[in-house]
Amino acid sequence: MSRIATRTVVVTFACLIAVPVLTFAQESSHSSVIAASTAAGVSSSSSLDEASLDLPDAPLPEQQSGTGQTQKPKSTPQQTAPPNSNNGLTLQGLGFKPSQTQANAKMQARLDKRTHMLQIHQKLGLITLVPMAATVLVSSGAKQKHNRTTGAVTAPNSSGIDLHVALGSLTAVMYGATAYYAIAAPRIAGEKLTGAVKFHRDLAFIHAPGMVLMPILGGMALSQENKGEKVHGIASAHAAVAAITVSAYAASALVVSWPIHWKFWEHR
Amino acid sequence: MRVVVALLLATAWLPAQAQKQWVLAKSSLTWHITHPVHTAQGTSHDARGKGVCKNDTCDFLIAVQLNTFKSGDASRDLHMLETVRGAQDPMVVVRTEMPQPELSQATIHANLTIQFAGQTVQYKNVPFERTAQGRDVEIRGTIPATCTDFKITPPEFLMMPIKNEIPVTVDLTWQPAE
Repeated sequence: MSRIATRTVVVTFACLIAVPVLTFAQESSHSSVIAASTAAGVSSSSSLDEASLDLPDAPLPEQQSGTGQTQKPKSTPQQTAPPNSNNGLTLQGLGFKPSQTQANAKMQARLDKRTHMLQIHQKLGLITLVPMAATVLVSSGAKQKHNRTTGAVTAPNSSGIDLHVALGSLTAVMYGATAYYAIAAPRIAGEKLTGAVKFHRDLAFIHAPGMVLMPILGGMALSQENKGEKVHGIASAHAAVAAITVSAYAASALVVSWPIHWKFWEHR
Repeated sequence: MRVVVALLLATAWLPAQAQKQWVLAKSSLTWHITHPVHTAQGTSHDARGKGVCKNDTCDFLIAVQLNTFKSGDASRDLHMLETVRGAQDPMVVVRTEMPQPELSQATIHANLTIQFAGQTVQYKNVPFERTAQGRDVEIRGTIPATCTDFKITPPEFLMMPIKNEIPVTVDLTWQPAE
């Protein structure tokens, strides 16, 4: 039985190692799409002060509501070509350098790739919550039962252990994939994490070690259970580490959504 | 004598034809987004602007770099830049032309031409409140922008898109140029 526990730990780690390799294939194919679309975009880009942009017609815009204090017709948006510089007013005249006003296709491609990868990170992160919660829910079936009056120890049934291990492994694999998309997303020069996203990142220093520790401690606990021993030593921290890890993970998902409008069905 | 009269007439005519210029002294531009479970704002105080009044018509140009808008969350700011193609079109440029008497009204109705996210859209009769204090003239109002107007795909959070309306509140303090 101790072999089963060792195998579980080995399989979990193998999956964690395999995740970045598997996900890299998806990411690189996407980047080629971005590169192609960017190349197409460059040829059609133009400087902001060019007056003769040949813009396509916009779909008919809706009637916009003004601020409601006028007898004149309400403000309405219309798609139009940029006007000629009026009265000699130009961006250069305002003190903007050409480098500030010029298009940067490379940076746009980098931003696109960053957003794409972080959106996958977000989706995978939310989906990971499901097997994570399920692992916690079935954990009682993988525990020894102690009779306090008789002192007898009842070993957990193998199906309860298998289910817990399978869900835990799935959680670990999905967690690895989620982490990969956050880590591999391109950094933008001068990017400094501030606000909720900084807290979101900091919480990873709690749940990431937890995700590494959990299968190790779980394997140790299972090994001790299989020997008919009461779970002891560092292995007994498995449940506590799981509680901290799951809490930190849930908090990291919540913090980027804060402040939440609880009555989100009400229109503001 | 005729020369003197001609000179007098010329000097009287010159101030009438002289340009009056305005400079943007202080600015606060804020975008607002509404998501089913969340709202967010991003503000820039780095807009630059000039106005020139000539022949009873005033032209104004206001521009701001998109990367100067800060929402308090660096990741959101970068996501905003990506969504509005802010590296491809790094500026928001607003132009307006109005009759000079309109500038002295308590409520100014402006026809705005806005270049943003690679699109140029015109908003007609956008009301702005005007208050004068000494040399300063403060203009406040809201531009009723929408994602659709600028062909912006509404960004999603928790797999739910933001509302189409992305109003921009404007607070500009103008001063006559020296």
